[in-house]
Amino acid sequence: MNTPLNRFATLIWLVLVILTIATFYIGERIVSGSAVMMSVLVISLIKGQLIANYFMGLRHIRWLWRGIILGYFVIVGGMVAVAYLI
Amino acid sequence: MNTNTALANETEDLPGDFAIWIFILAEMLVFGVMFIVYAFTRASQVEVFNASQLTLSRGLGTLNTVILVTSSYFVVRAVSAIKLGNSRSSAWWLIGTILLGGLFVAVKLWEFNQKFSAGITLETNDFYMFYLTLTFFHLMHVLMGMIILACIIYKLRHGDYRAAEYTGVETGASFGPMLDLLWCVLFPLIYIIH
Repeated sequence: MNTPLNRFATLIWLVLVILTIATFYIGERIVSGSAVMMSVLVISLIKGQLIANYFMGLRHIRWLWRGIILGYFVIVGGMVAVAYLI
Repeated sequence: MNTNTALANETEDLPGDFAIWIFILAEMLVFGVMFIVYAFTRASQVEVFNASQLTLSRGLGTLNTVILVTSSYFVVRAVSAIKLGNSRSSAWWLIGTILLGGLFVAVKLWEFNQKFSAGITLETNDFYMFYLTLTFFHLMHVLMGMIILACIIYKLRHGDYRAAEYTGVETGASFGPMLDLLWCVLFPLIYIIH
């Protein structure tokens, strides 16, 4: 059952794995810094959107629900960034 | 309203039962508050948090992230299979998901064992308190997700779901990727950012 939707899901999975490895690489190779922290948080936001939209099935759902997930990452990520920058 | 009848090009209802989404939002809220409290607690003890964080295995954290991402993908394939009426294939994808969940639990317990063997407890310092509490809380949810999926597999095997009625599969399936979603923040916060 290798439908186009399944192939697309496989592509999303691959992107998520690559982003995870990129996060690991940043943690292993790069020293701390606000730019590094922000880049890791942005990667998390991208991963969260991919998971919510394509793995949790929110892609075609009313904007309100997708907005809640996006808002969650923006608010939590934003608060974490503030805490790291103060 | 069931999503089965929704048109792909129009705005659809939430997948599965609405109640699971209230539960998911409540879980996200609880974890979100803990993430923010962790970050602000760290602000007053940066050196302690950074030194303790370096003792964690980023390799094992990454491995568990890949395991969770892959298990979410398996859940997507399970839902896709039941939508096409293939309950047998759907059950196999979910069995794969449970096996990956078991692998996640094994890796996490091994990691805990390493820390406990080194004499680290909840009282060692605030970083380890957050690390052990957050990851154990998440681990409990993974176990709960595995139980939910086992119930769905049982029902799939008994023909309770089919192409015309798969809301139950979608409902249970929404829970798994939520754990992945939370780990998206938990992993970089606890293991990476310093």
